[in-house]
Amino acid sequence: MRVNIFAAMAAISAASAAAGEAGEVLLTVTGRVAEAPVELTRADLEALPQRSLITATTVTDGRPEFEGFLMRDLLEHLGAEGDSVVALALNDYRAEIPVSDFEDYDVLGALTMDGAQLSPRDKGPVWIVYPRDDHRELQDIRYDMRWVWQLVSLHVK
Amino acid sequence: MSRADGSSRPRHGLALFLPYLPLLLICFGPLAFALAKTSALERDMRIAVTENMLWVVTQTQKEVMALTLAAAAPDRQAEEIAQSFDLAVSRLTLLGQGPQQRYLAELGHADTLQQITTRILALDPEVQGHGPAQHAAIYEQGLALQSQFNRLANDVMMQEWEIAAERLDTYRSTQTTVIFAVAFAFLGAMGISWLFLRNKRRLNEAEIQRRRDSALLQEARDTSEMYRDFAAMVSHQMRTPLSLIDSAMHRLARRGDAVTASDVAERQGVVQDAVRRMTRLVETVLLVGKLDNRQVRGNLAPAALDALAQSALTEARGLHPGRDIRLSSTGSRIMALCDPLLVAHILENLLANALRYSPVETRVELRVFSQGGQVACAVTDQGPGIAPADQPHVFKRYFRGEAHRAEQGTGLGLALARELAELQGGRIGMDTWPGRGSVFTLWLPAASEGRP
Repeated sequence: MRVNIFAAMAAISAASAAAGEAGEVLLTVTGRVAEAPVELTRADLEALPQRSLITATTVTDGRPEFEGFLMRDLLEHLGAEGDSVVALALNDYRAEIPVSDFEDYDVLGALTMDGAQLSPRDKGPVWIVYPRDDHRELQDIRYDMRWVWQLVSLHVK
Repeated sequence: MSRADGSSRPRHGLALFLPYLPLLLICFGPLAFALAKTSALERDMRIAVTENMLWVVTQTQKEVMALTLAAAAPDRQAEEIAQSFDLAVSRLTLLGQGPQQRYLAELGHADTLQQITTRILALDPEVQGHGPAQHAAIYEQGLALQSQFNRLANDVMMQEWEIAAERLDTYRSTQTTVIFAVAFAFLGAMGISWLFLRNKRRLNEAEIQRRRDSALLQEARDTSEMYRDFAAMVSHQMRTPLSLIDSAMHRLARRGDAVTASDVAERQGVVQDAVRRMTRLVETVLLVGKLDNRQVRGNLAPAALDALAQSALTEARGLHPGRDIRLSSTGSRIMALCDPLLVAHILENLLANALRYSPVETRVELRVFSQGGQVACAVTDQGPGIAPADQPHVFKRYFRGEAHRAEQGTGLGLALARELAELQGGRIGMDTWPGRGSVFTLWLPAASEGRP
């Protein structure tokens, strides 16, 4: 899997100069989904219902507006059956997230921040964003560590 | 002395609560303060990303080192170098954002970060393109930056130790403050409880004192009233026989030598009667005094109540010749457990009472009977009865019915009869029909004849 991801990263990197290209694979989903592995392009992700969310984060100032898809919409769309997902980032950061988080809260797979596409040179291409300002219990390090940025792969367990 | 309890009227609402207000403040103030302190501590303990600054900095150093090594590898693809470059830049971007930027600025490393970022971005393959020369430049720069990263990481680590130490200080002082606050609150609570208890005790004591005072006062009133009545009664009762004796003597004196034997006998009778009356009065008063000092003790023994009634009847007939006094008994030897002397005194009183308050031509009747483990002697007269207003007071000492204030009588007879009856475990019952007469009944415990 490590090799697959590396390949995916390479693919992203290859097209990084043209980050907006629709054919480029942004996210690979493996594990308990209908037809694993699933490779999703920006067009695929943008085809999901788009939602916006304004929230403060622990690493930026102000309250940026994020736009993207709901994580639960993505999992439903892929027919995922599992209790948790392991989110893996471009920089090898990994965090296990219970699926119940996506059911209880409107957790976003953000593609843009303040109207600009998230770049791999910042937190892109995908940043898992929790509605931190709307729920006090989310203002906690145990949730902060699930805000995986530079998300490239999800493994459904 | 009239109203000792006037000042301790019960207080209500705020007035009752007010004395405790300062203590409540002492009690809840520190607790609120401790709560504020601990919630501040809780806020402080929430871990922010800047707490992981050392990790963030070393991750950045790691990405720059990875880029440096990638640039040096001869077989590395341009795409891999480009991606490595992106990751290094994303880390630098993170360091340059919001809280992270401020943290470094505070350490005096805002410029260091700026320099590193500028130098890396100057080598951006998206601008400079790829080639051995460009990659060599990245390698050189990457190596050169390592010492800056080391210093950055070193200072961040120092800073984190400093922050940790300061935080420990804060925790300790908060802990001390909270301990003091709780101790204060505890003392406050103790104070409140103590005040409550003290006030309650004082109220109780005041109430007890008030009752004691009023009881003493009543007792003193009763005593002084009783002595006043006693003095009035004695002087009144003495005056009549004394004046009778006095006038008898005067008459004899006026006659001088012309006194006949029958004159002397007549006056003698008057004087004897007056003396007997005074003797009886003195005896009664002495008996009352003994009763009050608890010197009278009934020597209880079985005695025939009918026989005692018979002697009382005989004596009464002797004192009141011409009165119709009768005795009826449901049997002979109706035995009572009593002191015969005291019973004689009671019956004498009851009879005297009946004879005094009923018209001369009417009959006074004694009836002895037994009923339900008790034996009784009822004295019935056909007098005017007792007015309803007077009935509750009949057995009070020195009480005289409204209609008889002016007449002879000590006002002690019935009171004494009742006290003597109770002394023997008995009682005096009263039934009265205004206009028709009264019945006073002495009830005593029955005794079988063989009983000692």
